[in-house]
Amino acid sequence: MPGFDFTRSPVPVRPSIVEAQRAFWNRLAAPGSWWTGEQRVAIAAEARRTRPLRREPPWLRNIAPPEDGVIPARAVEAVRTIAVDAHNIDRPWAEQTLAELGEGAYVELVAVTVQITALDAFAEALGLDPQPLPDPQPGSPDRMRPQGLGDIGAFVPCLLAAPGPNVGRALSLAPNDNQTFFGLVGSMYALKDFGELVWQDRPLSRPQIELLAARVSAINECFY
Amino acid sequence: MLLRASGQANKTDVRLEGSIGTGDGGVEHGDVLLRFAEAATRGSNELGEARIALIDAIGAEAFLEAAATVGIFNGLVRVADSTGIPLDEGTRNNSGSFRESLGLNEFASARNTDLTQSEKPAPPDAPVRDVFSTG
Repeated sequence: MPGFDFTRSPVPVRPSIVEAQRAFWNRLAAPGSWWTGEQRVAIAAEARRTRPLRREPPWLRNIAPPEDGVIPARAVEAVRTIAVDAHNIDRPWAEQTLAELGEGAYVELVAVTVQITALDAFAEALGLDPQPLPDPQPGSPDRMRPQGLGDIGAFVPCLLAAPGPNVGRALSLAPNDNQTFFGLVGSMYALKDFGELVWQDRPLSRPQIELLAARVSAINECFY
Repeated sequence: MLLRASGQANKTDVRLEGSIGTGDGGVEHGDVLLRFAEAATRGSNELGEARIALIDAIGAEAFLEAAATVGIFNGLVRVADSTGIPLDEGTRNNSGSFRESLGLNEFASARNTDLTQSEKPAPPDAPVRDVFSTG
Protein backbone atom coordinates (compact mmCIF):
# COMPACT_ATOMS: atom_id res chain seq x y z
CA MET A 1 0.00 0.00 0.00
CA PRO A 2 1.43 3.43 -0.91
CA GLY A 3 1.85 6.18 1.64
CA PHE A 4 2.48 6.09 5.36
CA ASP A 5 6.20 6.27 4.76
CA PHE A 6 6.47 9.45 6.87
CA THR A 7 9.61 10.47 5.01
CA ARG A 8 8.77 14.13 5.58
CA SER A 9 8.23 13.68 9.30
CA PRO A 10 10.53 15.78 11.50
CA VAL A 11 11.24 12.64 13.53
CA PRO A 12 11.35 8.94 12.62
CA VAL A 13 8.02 7.16 13.04
CA ARG A 14 8.35 3.67 14.47
CA PRO A 15 7.08 0.72 12.39
CA SER A 16 4.36 -0.33 14.85
CA ILE A 17 2.57 3.00 14.34
CA VAL A 18 2.87 2.76 10.57
CA GLU A 19 1.52 -0.80 10.59
CA ALA A 20 -1.45 0.10 12.78
CA GLN A 21 -2.33 3.08 10.60
CA ARG A 22 -2.10 0.95 7.45
CA ALA A 23 -4.37 -1.64 9.05
CA PHE A 24 -6.98 1.05 9.63
CA TRP A 25 -6.57 2.32 6.07
CA ASN A 26 -7.28 -1.14 4.67
CA ARG A 27 -10.28 -1.51 6.94
CA LEU A 28 -11.54 1.98 6.10
CA ALA A 29 -11.70 1.29 2.37
CA ALA A 30 -13.50 -2.06 2.69
CA PRO A 31 -17.23 -2.57 3.26
CA GLY A 32 -18.15 -2.59 6.93
CA SER A 33 -21.14 -4.09 8.65
CA TRP A 34 -23.51 -1.22 7.86
CA TRP A 35 -21.77 1.04 5.34
CA THR A 36 -20.15 0.33 1.97
CA GLY A 37 -16.50 1.12 1.37
CA GLU A 38 -17.55 4.18 -0.60
CA GLN A 39 -19.69 5.38 2.30
CA ARG A 40 -16.97 4.72 4.86
CA VAL A 41 -14.47 6.76 2.88
CA ALA A 42 -17.13 9.48 2.51
CA ILE A 43 -17.56 9.49 6.31
CA ALA A 44 -13.81 9.88 6.73
CA ALA A 45 -13.74 12.66 4.13
CA GLU A 46 -16.50 14.56 5.92
CA ALA A 47 -14.73 14.20 9.28
CA ARG A 48 -11.54 15.50 7.70
CA ARG A 49 -13.37 18.39 6.02
CA THR A 50 -14.99 19.37 9.31
CA ARG A 51 -12.01 19.04 11.65
CA PRO A 52 -10.45 22.46 10.92
CA LEU A 53 -13.69 24.09 12.05
CA ARG A 54 -12.82 23.29 15.65
CA ARG A 55 -10.77 26.47 15.55
CA GLU A 56 -13.90 28.53 14.94
CA PRO A 57 -16.72 29.36 17.34
CA PRO A 58 -19.86 27.34 16.59
CA TRP A 59 -21.67 30.27 14.99
CA LEU A 60 -18.92 30.64 12.39
CA ARG A 61 -18.76 26.99 11.40
CA ASN A 62 -20.41 27.40 8.03
CA ILE A 63 -19.73 24.51 5.73
CA ALA A 64 -21.66 23.44 2.66
CA PRO A 65 -23.14 19.95 2.55
CA PRO A 66 -21.23 17.43 0.45
CA GLU A 67 -22.49 17.37 -3.10
CA ASP A 68 -22.09 13.68 -3.75
CA GLY A 69 -24.89 12.43 -1.47
CA VAL A 70 -23.00 9.23 -0.71
CA ILE A 71 -24.13 9.28 2.92
CA PRO A 72 -27.48 10.61 4.18
CA ALA A 73 -27.81 14.10 5.60
CA ARG A 74 -28.24 12.81 9.15
CA ALA A 75 -24.96 10.91 8.84
CA VAL A 76 -23.23 14.07 7.64
CA GLU A 77 -24.57 15.95 10.63
CA ALA A 78 -23.48 13.17 12.99
CA VAL A 79 -19.95 13.09 11.59
CA ARG A 80 -19.64 16.85 11.93
CA THR A 81 -20.89 16.80 15.49
CA ILE A 82 -18.49 14.03 16.51
CA ALA A 83 -15.60 15.73 14.75
CA VAL A 84 -15.91 19.12 16.43
CA ASP A 85 -18.63 19.04 19.10
CA ALA A 86 -18.58 15.56 20.60
CA HIS A 87 -18.58 16.93 24.14
CA ASN A 88 -22.04 18.42 23.55
CA ILE A 89 -23.65 15.14 22.49
CA ASP A 90 -26.48 14.27 24.84
CA ARG A 91 -28.93 11.41 25.07
CA PRO A 92 -31.78 13.09 23.13
CA TRP A 93 -29.45 13.86 20.22
CA ALA A 94 -28.04 10.35 20.33
CA GLU A 95 -31.46 8.72 20.47
CA GLN A 96 -32.70 10.70 17.50
CA THR A 97 -29.59 9.89 15.51
CA LEU A 98 -29.77 6.21 16.44
CA ALA A 99 -33.41 6.11 15.41
CA GLU A 100 -32.60 7.55 12.00
CA LEU A 101 -29.37 5.72 11.22
CA GLY A 102 -29.69 2.53 13.25
CA GLU A 103 -27.48 1.45 16.14
CA GLY A 104 -24.92 -0.45 14.13
CA ALA A 105 -24.59 2.22 11.46
CA TYR A 106 -24.15 4.93 14.08
CA VAL A 107 -21.44 3.07 15.98
CA GLU A 108 -19.60 2.25 12.77
CA LEU A 109 -19.81 5.92 11.79
CA VAL A 110 -18.37 6.87 15.18
CA ALA A 111 -15.57 4.35 14.74
CA VAL A 112 -14.56 5.67 11.34
CA THR A 113 -14.75 9.29 12.48
CA VAL A 114 -12.64 8.82 15.60
CA GLN A 115 -9.98 6.83 13.78
CA ILE A 116 -9.53 9.35 10.99
CA THR A 117 -9.49 12.07 13.65
CA ALA A 118 -6.70 10.30 15.53
CA LEU A 119 -4.62 9.85 12.38
CA ASP A 120 -5.14 13.41 11.22
CA ALA A 121 -4.37 14.79 14.68
CA PHE A 122 -1.16 12.77 14.72
CA ALA A 123 -0.15 14.01 11.26
CA GLU A 124 -0.93 17.59 12.22
CA ALA A 125 1.09 17.22 15.42
CA LEU A 126 4.05 16.11 13.30
CA GLY A 127 3.50 18.99 10.89
CA LEU A 128 2.49 16.72 8.00
CA ASP A 129 -0.33 16.84 5.50
CA PRO A 130 -3.02 14.23 6.11
CA GLN A 131 -2.65 10.95 4.30
CA PRO A 132 -4.67 10.87 1.04
CA LEU A 133 -7.82 8.82 1.58
CA PRO A 134 -7.83 5.30 0.09
CA ASP A 135 -9.88 4.24 -2.90
CA PRO A 136 -13.03 2.45 -1.74
CA GLN A 137 -13.24 -1.28 -2.25
CA PRO A 138 -16.36 -2.84 -3.78
CA GLY A 139 -18.76 -5.04 -1.88
CA SER A 140 -21.74 -4.95 0.42
CA PRO A 141 -21.98 -4.52 4.21
CA ASP A 142 -22.28 -7.82 6.04
CA ARG A 143 -25.02 -6.66 8.47
CA MET A 144 -23.32 -8.54 11.28
CA ARG A 145 -24.46 -7.76 14.81
CA PRO A 146 -22.38 -9.24 17.63
CA GLN A 147 -23.95 -11.42 20.31
CA GLY A 148 -23.90 -10.58 24.00
CA LEU A 149 -24.76 -6.90 23.79
CA GLY A 150 -26.69 -5.08 26.48
CA ASP A 151 -27.24 -1.83 28.32
CA ILE A 152 -24.28 -0.55 30.35
CA GLY A 153 -25.75 2.92 30.68
CA ALA A 154 -24.29 4.21 27.40
CA PHE A 155 -26.21 5.61 24.43
CA VAL A 156 -25.48 2.42 22.52
CA PRO A 157 -25.49 -1.31 23.35
CA CYS A 158 -22.14 -2.70 24.42
CA LEU A 159 -20.75 -6.13 25.19
CA LEU A 160 -21.83 -7.06 28.69
CA ALA A 161 -18.94 -9.42 29.31
CA ALA A 162 -15.86 -7.35 28.56
CA PRO A 163 -12.85 -6.81 30.78
CA GLY A 164 -11.23 -3.43 31.26
CA PRO A 165 -12.43 0.14 30.94
CA ASN A 166 -15.75 0.95 29.27
CA VAL A 167 -13.99 2.66 26.40
CA GLY A 168 -12.76 -0.76 25.34
CA ARG A 169 -16.31 -1.90 24.62
CA ALA A 170 -17.90 1.36 23.51
CA LEU A 171 -17.55 0.31 19.86
CA SER A 172 -18.80 -3.24 20.45
CA LEU A 173 -21.29 -2.91 17.59
CA ALA A 174 -18.40 -2.40 15.18
CA PRO A 175 -16.01 -5.14 16.26
CA ASN A 176 -13.75 -4.99 13.22
CA ASP A 177 -13.30 -1.26 13.59
CA ASN A 178 -12.84 -1.65 17.32
CA GLN A 179 -9.98 -4.02 16.56
CA THR A 180 -8.19 -1.55 14.29
CA PHE A 181 -8.90 1.28 16.71
CA PHE A 182 -7.26 -0.55 19.57
CA GLY A 183 -4.41 -1.42 17.27
CA LEU A 184 -3.92 2.32 16.99
CA VAL A 185 -4.30 2.74 20.75
CA GLY A 186 -1.70 0.08 21.39
CA SER A 187 0.83 1.54 18.98
CA MET A 188 0.27 5.21 19.84
CA TYR A 189 -0.36 4.98 23.62
CA ALA A 190 -0.52 1.72 25.55
CA LEU A 191 -2.27 -1.61 25.56
CA LYS A 192 -0.12 -4.44 26.90
CA ASP A 193 1.57 -2.09 29.36
CA PHE A 194 -1.58 -0.14 30.22
CA GLY A 195 -1.71 -1.70 33.68
CA GLU A 196 1.88 -0.77 34.46
CA LEU A 197 2.21 2.63 36.11
CA VAL A 198 6.00 2.72 35.78
CA TRP A 199 7.33 2.51 32.23
CA GLN A 200 11.01 1.68 32.32
CA ASP A 201 11.92 1.52 28.67
CA ARG A 202 9.94 4.30 27.05
CA PRO A 203 11.26 7.74 26.12
CA LEU A 204 8.59 9.53 28.15
CA SER A 205 7.58 8.56 31.67
CA ARG A 206 4.03 7.46 32.42
CA PRO A 207 3.23 10.72 34.24
CA GLN A 208 4.45 12.73 31.24
CA ILE A 209 2.23 10.70 28.91
CA GLU A 210 -0.75 10.97 31.26
CA LEU A 211 -0.28 14.71 31.57
CA LEU A 212 -0.56 15.00 27.78
CA ALA A 213 -3.59 12.73 27.76
CA ALA A 214 -5.29 14.64 30.56
CA ARG A 215 -4.71 17.98 28.84
CA VAL A 216 -6.10 16.73 25.52
CA SER A 217 -9.13 15.34 27.35
CA ALA A 218 -9.73 18.59 29.20
CA ILE A 219 -9.42 20.74 26.08
CA ASN A 220 -12.02 18.50 24.48
CA GLU A 221 -14.13 18.81 27.67
CA CYS A 222 -14.32 15.04 27.92
CA PHE A 223 -15.51 13.92 31.34
CA TYR A 224 -14.68 10.25 30.77
CA MET B 1 -6.96 9.47 37.33
CA LEU B 2 -3.97 7.81 35.71
CA LEU B 3 -1.99 11.02 36.00
CA ARG B 4 -2.35 10.97 39.77
CA ALA B 5 -1.81 7.22 40.09
CA SER B 6 1.24 7.19 37.82
CA GLY B 7 2.67 10.17 39.66
CA GLN B 8 2.43 8.28 42.94
CA ALA B 9 3.94 5.16 41.43
CA ASN B 10 6.81 7.13 39.88
CA LYS B 11 7.33 9.21 43.01
CA THR B 12 6.60 12.35 41.01
CA ASP B 13 4.75 15.20 42.64
CA VAL B 14 2.31 15.70 39.80
CA ARG B 15 -0.01 18.67 39.91
CA LEU B 16 -3.36 17.84 38.46
CA GLU B 17 -4.04 21.49 37.65
CA GLY B 18 -1.75 20.99 34.67
CA SER B 19 -4.58 19.11 33.00
CA ILE B 20 -6.72 22.24 32.95
CA GLY B 21 -3.91 24.45 31.71
CA THR B 22 -2.55 25.76 34.99
CA GLY B 23 1.17 25.28 35.70
CA ASP B 24 3.41 22.56 34.31
CA GLY B 25 1.81 19.51 35.89
CA GLY B 26 4.84 18.91 38.07
CA VAL B 27 6.52 16.60 35.57
CA GLU B 28 9.81 17.06 33.78
CA HIS B 29 9.37 19.24 30.66
CA GLY B 30 5.72 19.66 31.61
CA ASP B 31 5.64 23.22 30.31
CA VAL B 32 6.66 22.32 26.76
CA LEU B 33 4.58 19.15 26.75
CA LEU B 34 1.47 21.10 27.71
CA ARG B 35 2.20 23.88 25.26
CA PHE B 36 2.45 21.30 22.48
CA ALA B 37 -0.70 19.42 23.52
CA GLU B 38 -2.61 22.68 23.65
CA ALA B 39 -1.45 23.92 20.26
CA ALA B 40 -1.90 20.57 18.51
CA THR B 41 -5.34 19.88 19.92
CA ARG B 42 -6.67 23.36 19.22
CA GLY B 43 -4.86 23.62 15.88
CA SER B 44 -3.46 26.99 16.81
CA ASN B 45 -0.93 29.01 14.86
CA GLU B 46 1.55 28.35 17.64
CA LEU B 47 1.89 24.66 16.80
CA GLY B 48 5.05 25.01 14.71
CA GLU B 49 6.94 26.81 17.45
CA ALA B 50 5.59 24.46 20.11
CA ARG B 51 6.75 21.46 18.08
CA ILE B 52 10.28 22.82 17.68
CA ALA B 53 10.49 23.71 21.35
CA LEU B 54 9.40 20.25 22.37
CA ILE B 55 11.80 18.44 20.04
CA ASP B 56 14.64 20.62 21.32
CA ALA B 57 13.69 19.83 24.92
CA ILE B 58 13.04 16.09 24.84
CA GLY B 59 14.50 14.75 21.58
CA ALA B 60 13.04 13.02 18.55
CA GLU B 61 12.03 9.71 20.07
CA ALA B 62 10.19 11.26 23.00
CA PHE B 63 8.57 13.81 20.72
CA LEU B 64 7.09 10.98 18.66
CA GLU B 65 5.54 9.58 21.85
CA ALA B 66 4.02 12.97 22.60
CA ALA B 67 2.60 13.41 19.10
CA ALA B 68 1.17 9.89 19.12
CA THR B 69 -0.45 10.45 22.52
CA VAL B 70 -2.04 13.69 21.39
CA GLY B 71 -3.28 12.02 18.23
CA ILE B 72 -4.85 8.95 19.79
CA PHE B 73 -6.46 10.84 22.67
CA ASN B 74 -8.19 13.11 20.22
CA GLY B 75 -9.82 9.90 19.04
CA LEU B 76 -10.42 8.32 22.43
CA VAL B 77 -12.31 11.30 23.84
CA ARG B 78 -14.67 11.20 20.86
CA VAL B 79 -15.37 7.50 21.38
CA ALA B 80 -16.41 8.21 24.95
CA ASP B 81 -18.55 11.25 24.24
CA SER B 82 -20.19 9.88 21.09
CA THR B 83 -21.24 6.61 22.71
CA GLY B 84 -22.13 8.08 26.10
CA ILE B 85 -20.24 5.51 28.14
CA PRO B 86 -20.31 6.22 31.86
CA LEU B 87 -17.16 6.62 33.88
CA ASP B 88 -15.81 3.25 35.01
CA GLU B 89 -16.98 2.50 38.52
CA GLY B 90 -13.49 2.29 39.94
CA THR B 91 -12.56 5.64 38.44
CA ARG B 92 -15.76 7.27 39.64
CA ASN B 93 -15.15 5.99 43.14
CA ASN B 94 -11.60 7.30 43.26
CA SER B 95 -11.80 10.66 41.55
CA GLY B 96 -14.47 12.64 43.36
CA SER B 97 -12.19 15.09 45.13
CA PHE B 98 -10.15 16.21 42.16
CA ARG B 99 -13.08 16.09 39.74
CA GLU B 100 -14.72 18.69 41.90
CA SER B 101 -11.66 20.87 42.45
CA LEU B 102 -10.68 20.84 38.76
CA GLY B 103 -14.22 21.59 37.60
CA LEU B 104 -14.51 18.36 35.61
CA ASN B 105 -18.01 17.74 36.91
CA GLU B 106 -19.07 20.83 34.98
CA PHE B 107 -18.24 19.25 31.64
CA ALA B 108 -21.42 18.52 29.69
CA SER B 109 -20.55 14.85 29.29
CA ALA B 110 -20.51 14.41 33.07
CA ARG B 111 -24.25 13.82 32.72
CA ASN B 112 -23.43 10.39 31.23
CA THR B 113 -22.32 9.18 34.67
CA ASP B 114 -24.41 8.83 37.81
CA LEU B 115 -22.43 10.90 40.29
CA THR B 116 -24.95 10.61 43.09
CA GLN B 117 -23.71 7.21 44.25
CA SER B 118 -21.44 7.25 47.25
CA GLU B 119 -17.76 6.77 46.64
CA LYS B 120 -15.86 3.67 47.67
CA PRO B 121 -12.21 4.54 47.10
CA ALA B 122 -9.82 1.73 46.28
CA PRO B 123 -6.68 1.31 48.38
CA PRO B 124 -3.81 3.57 47.24
CA ASP B 125 -1.84 0.57 46.01
CA ALA B 126 -4.73 -1.02 44.11
CA PRO B 127 -3.75 -2.35 40.66
CA VAL B 128 -4.80 -0.22 37.70
CA ARG B 129 -7.13 -2.93 36.47
CA ASP B 130 -9.04 -2.73 39.76
CA VAL B 131 -9.24 1.03 39.72
CA PHE B 132 -10.71 0.84 36.22
CA SER B 133 -13.10 -1.91 37.15
CA THR B 134 -16.66 -1.66 35.95
CA GLY B 135 -18.11 -3.10 39.08
